Amino acid sequence: MTRVLAIARNTLREVARERVVLVLAMFGLALVVGAQALSPLALGEGRKVVIDFGLAGASLLATTLAVFLGSTLLHKELERRTVYSILAKPIRREEFLIGKFLGLWFTTSMLLAGMAVILLAVVTLAYRDTPWQILGAVGLTLMELGIVTAVVILFSSFTTPALTAFFAVAATVAGHFAEDLRYFASQGASPAVQALTQGAYWILPHLDVFNARGLVVHGLSVGPDRLAFGFAYGLLYAIGIMVLAGVIFRRREFR
Amino acid sequence: MPRDRKAHLPAPSLTSGLREVEPLPPVRLENVSKVYRDPMTLRPFTAVDGVSLTLERGEILGLLGPNGAGKTSTIKMILGLTRPTRGVIRIEGRDPWDSDARKRLGYLPENPCFYDHLGAAEYLDLVGALFGLSRVASRRRSEALLARLGLAAHARKPLRKFSKGMTQRLGICQALLNEPSLLVLDEPMSGLDPIGRAEAKQLLREERDKGTTILLSSHVLSETESLCDRVAILHRGRVHEVGGVSELLSSGVLEWEIAVDSLSDERAAILRSRGHSVQSVGRRWVVRVERESEVQEVLRDLVQERATIRSVEPRRESLEDYFVRALGADGRPAS
Repeated sequence: MTRVLAIARNTLREVARERVVLVLAMFGLALVVGAQALSPLALGEGRKVVIDFGLAGASLLATTLAVFLGSTLLHKELERRTVYSILAKPIRREEFLIGKFLGLWFTTSMLLAGMAVILLAVVTLAYRDTPWQILGAVGLTLMELGIVTAVVILFSSFTTPALTAFFAVAATVAGHFAEDLRYFASQGASPAVQALTQGAYWILPHLDVFNARGLVVHGLSVGPDRLAFGFAYGLLYAIGIMVLAGVIFRRREFR
Repeated sequence: MPRDRKAHLPAPSLTSGLREVEPLPPVRLENVSKVYRDPMTLRPFTAVDGVSLTLERGEILGLLGPNGAGKTSTIKMILGLTRPTRGVIRIEGRDPWDSDARKRLGYLPENPCFYDHLGAAEYLDLVGALFGLSRVASRRRSEALLARLGLAAHARKPLRKFSKGMTQRLGICQALLNEPSLLVLDEPMSGLDPIGRAEAKQLLREERDKGTTILLSSHVLSETESLCDRVAILHRGRVHEVGGVSELLSSGVLEWEIAVDSLSDERAAILRSRGHSVQSVGRRWVVRVERESEVQEVLRDLVQERATIRSVEPRRESLEDYFVRALGADGRPAS
């Protein structure tokens, strides 16, 4: 575990020192604060708009960061050959990969948590009421970030940064529409298409599980059942993906 | 060589029925081959072809060969970065793929590159954690190594600001952090200035004296010659020859070099006509005589000529000469 944490800490430092993190953090801050500026146009629904806009923006930024930083993370190690010195140490390749995953997940989670704190402060100051419900939604988004990060690490373990970003974005977008995918396929599609979409339905992450903005916007809390299911599903899916990534990375040859 | 290299071999005992357990060699390669496939054409390329090699405890073995000989591929298989296509590699009896086999291994890659975002001390902290060292032990060891390699003043400097020589010295620090019993060094002198090279050589000798086994690949043959106990010559993926440096090189004198201050054109022509080489080097002349029996005669002639003789030196074969003789000047085996 020490070795995994050492790699995670190093990844956290590496990612946190990238300028893009600062730029995205500033952008997130502007988005959350900017939502407040739009509230007068919302005909008395300003609080809802700020929370909805703020949560969606924070989630989008954290996901973007996970995809675009994660897609180059392993590639840079291989290209600059820093990985050679590290993997010649008594560390298993799977430990290295898990460390990378944890470091990236922790960084994006910190960014998300920071934006959530700002959102809480903005809403509290503007409406004299603290929307603690958003913490449940943020918790679920953290688990979604875990899945996205694992998917990015999986693709980066065997393909190029561009393809990694493409596949990760595709999986994330499709993951948000996994339920719709099966529904549309059942509407008169051929058996082959149905089998294909059924397969995709089971393989793709069901990211809509983690979207609780609808509840929070209307002042409702995310129930403990939903939270527990989201955490369990997110954890199991991420572990499954990381096991697959580990198997692929273990077979990789460093020429 | 401070120790008897055969000391680890068990002495046959006639009085006891129990056999002493023979310590495992630090590194053993048995008929190891590595075949790569071109990712586009899938055509196979044999980088290492049936290499068998055993390192003995406490020796420095030089892995030498022209570019593409298979040195780095061999090293990567020893480190578990690639798998052999055929054959067996063992580090102290363990498969290098097993991470525990690398606990007492130090590695310096060729042209090392470390994390730009870290400082030297931070990088060594990371390495210490990977070796499972306690923070205190890791700090103590890294401070001593940074001081020894002249990097103490740069411990907090970001690695992106390090020169090539400084990076190389940090590479040596990280390779030695875990007090390894086996050191694998790929071109360890690369990027170092003459003082740095002398210090690195001294450090490696000290490590060897402590019992560390060292495998180093190098193309700087003159340095290898003065550092290694044995050398293995790799060529086109195969071991061309293995042996002590002095065993590989012909023990005899290749020629005698006589340096003189002045020489008349007439005398130079006479010496050339007798088959000797005469060259003007700056303000001096160098006469090269192949046969020892003719040296006296040439010296007598030069004294008669009233030439001032500055030096008379035998020139023995170097590893460079060996390479040219054994593999041909272009790296192809001499017929």
